[in-house]
Amino acid sequence: MIAPGATSADVLAVDSVAKRFGGVQALGGVTLQVRRGEFHAIIGPNGAGKSTFFNTLTGLILPDTGQIVFEGRSLTGLPPHERVRLGMGRTFQITRVFPDLTLLENVQVALLAHDRASLFPWRSASRHRPADARGLLERVGLTVSEHLPASTLAHGDRKRLELAITLAGEPTLLLLDEPTAGMAAQERLESIRMVHRVASDLGLSCLFTEHDMAVVFSVASRISVLVQGKLLITGQPEEVRASEQVQRVYLGEAVIEQGVNG
Amino acid sequence: MNRARIGLLLLLAALLLLPLGLSDFWLFIAIEVLAFALYAISFNLLMGYGGMLSFGHAAFFGVGAYTGALLAKKAGVTSIWAFVLVMPGAMAVAALIAVVIGFFSVRRSGIYFAMLTFAFQMLLYTVALKAIGLTGGDDGMTGLRPPGLLAAPSNYYYFALAWVLPSVYALYRLVNSPFGLTLRALRNNPLRVQYVGVNVRSHQLITFVVAGAFAGLAGALFAFSSGNVFPGWLNWTASATPIVMAVLGGVQSFLGPALGAAVYVVLEVTISGSTEYWPLFMGLIIMVLVLVMPRGLVGLLERGRR
Repeated sequence: MIAPGATSADVLAVDSVAKRFGGVQALGGVTLQVRRGEFHAIIGPNGAGKSTFFNTLTGLILPDTGQIVFEGRSLTGLPPHERVRLGMGRTFQITRVFPDLTLLENVQVALLAHDRASLFPWRSASRHRPADARGLLERVGLTVSEHLPASTLAHGDRKRLELAITLAGEPTLLLLDEPTAGMAAQERLESIRMVHRVASDLGLSCLFTEHDMAVVFSVASRISVLVQGKLLITGQPEEVRASEQVQRVYLGEAVIEQGVNG
Repeated sequence: MNRARIGLLLLLAALLLLPLGLSDFWLFIAIEVLAFALYAISFNLLMGYGGMLSFGHAAFFGVGAYTGALLAKKAGVTSIWAFVLVMPGAMAVAALIAVVIGFFSVRRSGIYFAMLTFAFQMLLYTVALKAIGLTGGDDGMTGLRPPGLLAAPSNYYYFALAWVLPSVYALYRLVNSPFGLTLRALRNNPLRVQYVGVNVRSHQLITFVVAGAFAGLAGALFAFSSGNVFPGWLNWTASATPIVMAVLGGVQSFLGPALGAAVYVVLEVTISGSTEYWPLFMGLIIMVLVLVMPRGLVGLLERGRR
């Protein structure tokens, strides 16, 4: 099934997705494609509908109209956990890990789910692919002891751990909601470059929302600008940077300059 | 062999030898401890491991007890072999009820989950109270005795032990299994668990049913040592018992609630034997617990060892 305007090179095809909350049109018909292997950023001012859009993709919010096709399959009516099983992995703006579990266990929970083994009632969970779990921790650069509870991690390391949890599901598409939220400025670039490297190593496509223009322009291969629930433009970073419309509505010259230099 | 393993073996030996050194009175208390230990552990599967605070766990204990009583009285179970089947029967009925209650209750979380379990329990309480032809209403069902040789307290003790030990072991395997790890993750962050690809509601429902089934077994075992079943066992105040036992022992350790059950039962017997103010003492105990040792007796023991 291929939505209008989409091609089979697309991992994700969103077609005219709209969502209204009471009197507010949060999304006014968004059409967007994520191409295989690309690093696609969604930017927009606060209240532009980025979170709502993200939540409709991941199944937390049901859109009023429109459809979303992932790897040629319509997601209409699929609950979140089944979207994940199809290969859509996500992280959260407010990092979500399992603080009482050790780092290794955090990843093992996800490996078990990926292997459809979450309901096994008898054998020991700690024996489930510990080497693979360790490998994922290394891949995201977590070098602290794997037997520490996740509650002991600093913010940046929690973000890494959440990425490892997400990667354990062997996604083909990474959906990252504000992946550098809450980080110091210099830490942000380092962090997004790590994510970018891991995603390219694994050949994953990625769609992410981001506030920090320096972060966006440092890794994005394409950028979509969302304003008041509508897509203003989707294009290469240079196109978006050059667009007068974008500058007028949202960015401002200074921010763009910062992006170029950062 | 490490210390924990030696401790467990000593505990096992003590449990096996207990009838040699106890009077019949204390044997009945020991049987009560076994039943309530299983009950408290089953409850802690929900609260301690799953983060699901049920205000209605007594429903399953009561349903198990009434199922046992009804099978014995109305279905005329007289042989030991038929009696052995009463226990899985009680588990099955409790599990079935748990499927229904759980189906609706796991749709909500926190206090709303608690309220739903509470409401369903009151429904069952009313049934036990008003279905007089079946349950004897307010008078309950009395004169329950295990058949034949099992009527001897020490034999019934071993019978109860033969059910409780494998059940506790199965629950121990469960909490350390992939199912149990996922359950602990779910207590930490249900949304994240959903987004690793787990069907959270069905995971919670299965937990609810397993906890209900073992509570039902505990209820049936206790019914035949107490000799009676009363509708009060299904009343909402009865649901406080496993909560207090689990907190008393320590919700963060697997056997904590069993220790809590033992201490609770023995305290209740000794204190209510010498004063009518048992609830007063229970209130004081709970206050001390929550204020001074939030991790329960197990937490206290661990602190003492360091």
